[in-house]
Amino acid sequence: MSTIPDERPVTALIADDEAPMRDLLRARLQAVWPELHIVAEAANGVEAVELGERHRPDIAFLDIRMPGLSGIEAARRLYARSHIVFATAYDQYALDAFAQGALDYLLKPVSAERLATTCARLQARMRTRARTENGAAPAPQDIGQELAKLTALLETKGKPDKPTYLRWIQAQVGSSLRMVSTREVLFFQSDEKYTRVQTAGAEFLIRKTLKELLDELDPDEFWRIHRSTLVRVDAIAEVKRDLRGRQMLRVRGYPGELEVSRNHSYLFQQM
Amino acid sequence: MRASDINRVLDFVRDAFHEASKLWWRFFDWLAVVEWRQLFLTWFFVLIFCAMVNMPELGGWYIFISFAVKVLAGGKRKAELTAREATAQANVATLERRLMEAQMAALQAQVEPHFLFNTLALIGQLIETDPKEAARVHAHLIDYLRSTLPQMRQRGGATLGRQVELSRAYLAIMQARMKERLEVRFDVPDFLGSAPFPPMMLQTLIENAIKHGLEPKIEGGTVAVRAHVVGADLHVEVCDDGVGIDPHADDGVGLANIRERLQLLYGADAALDITTPPGGGACATIRLPYKMMEDA
Repeated sequence: MSTIPDERPVTALIADDEAPMRDLLRARLQAVWPELHIVAEAANGVEAVELGERHRPDIAFLDIRMPGLSGIEAARRLYARSHIVFATAYDQYALDAFAQGALDYLLKPVSAERLATTCARLQARMRTRARTENGAAPAPQDIGQELAKLTALLETKGKPDKPTYLRWIQAQVGSSLRMVSTREVLFFQSDEKYTRVQTAGAEFLIRKTLKELLDELDPDEFWRIHRSTLVRVDAIAEVKRDLRGRQMLRVRGYPGELEVSRNHSYLFQQM
Repeated sequence: MRASDINRVLDFVRDAFHEASKLWWRFFDWLAVVEWRQLFLTWFFVLIFCAMVNMPELGGWYIFISFAVKVLAGGKRKAELTAREATAQANVATLERRLMEAQMAALQAQVEPHFLFNTLALIGQLIETDPKEAARVHAHLIDYLRSTLPQMRQRGGATLGRQVELSRAYLAIMQARMKERLEVRFDVPDFLGSAPFPPMMLQTLIENAIKHGLEPKIEGGTVAVRAHVVGADLHVEVCDDGVGIDPHADDGVGLANIRERLQLLYGADAALDITTPPGGGACATIRLPYKMMEDA
């Protein structure tokens, strides 16, 4: 099903979770490109994909940050049929990616001049497409790789790949779950069927075993010092030997002492 | 030639004299603080040593001088030394407090660039479509920034009433952006308005509720702020019915800052608790000692 843009108006979709931003873009588009037919407006990423698939617009203006699906995820589903133009107010990583890539983007609030330039470029592209077109419509542009890169960039927020560790310990307290940040935890100690979570002001029992915690927690944040104890490294105040020659560890904010087993005493060997 | 030789000798004599006087005063200080028992021990050893090298007079002089100095000047010198140590400690304490204040100021100054850009973008667009609304959002933004930048924060801003007011400014901006996706409920009795409450904590919790709880949720939801007194404590609670907390998501600098500041201000008497109610969403509660008003 080939479509020849000259025979029908060019269509567009606008997706932004903030209504005022959609209003502005629509008003601006009407001013600089009156023939453009805005067929649909979406308030979130899921809606954008849905409407994009239904209306098959020539152009999709997508906000990057939207609930449900981000603009970039939505673009990955739509770019085969629609030309993608991203919009963002501020996103360092996205802007970096845009600067290197071939992606079209607009900065919010969208200025009339900038939009006019973008629209002129889009129109030129539509025309060349119309000329070369015979039979099947080629993809507007192949930006799949570009999008994959962008997704990776945004997911890791520009940081090098780092596995995600457990950051919140969930402890049942009454009918609700207490979320204990791992930064609050002084140590974990296994206590028969449960694991005891000690913070400066409180202690909780959780069902997660020490072994499970060991697998999920950041190994640089928590050290195992005993078969039954995991201690947060930052909380350690001092290590000393008691009369029987055992290494004992004191943590900030807790009056007692923790024993370091022989197997783990290498952790505190003097340099 | 000769003049430089003399100078060299003079320099040497001066240095030697300087060293000797330093040693003498060190000896003097040591005498002043040393215990009598230890002094007796040194007398004993010095006597033995002097007897061995056959110069008992030297030992006698040592004993005589140290005894005299200890008796005559010891008390005064000891008091002086203790005073000096106390001053040094006081200075360290002041320094530590200053450092802490500076850290607090830095901790409090964190405006999200994302928020700022989006709000400015919104104002820019409203100027064209709805100038009245633009002016309103603009005024809220100024209020919000004033509360966020420490150097612009007015004195007396650290009451719950003021903090609630500033949070309303932030929420009004977010409502202008999110429209019907954001609902706000405040349940803060008027009489709690004068209670001292540290700046920027309530805002941080509300920002978290919106950013992590409601913004990612397609249909949006409600932020509810509630304050009440439990026993001797003031509880201030920010709840949302958003997507809840991902156990693998970093808790961010915001919450860590609140915890740190509560610890600095109130020690073990204050806490920040995060819970996820069975119905979903998240609740953050700040608990601190309740006072009717700020100390004069």
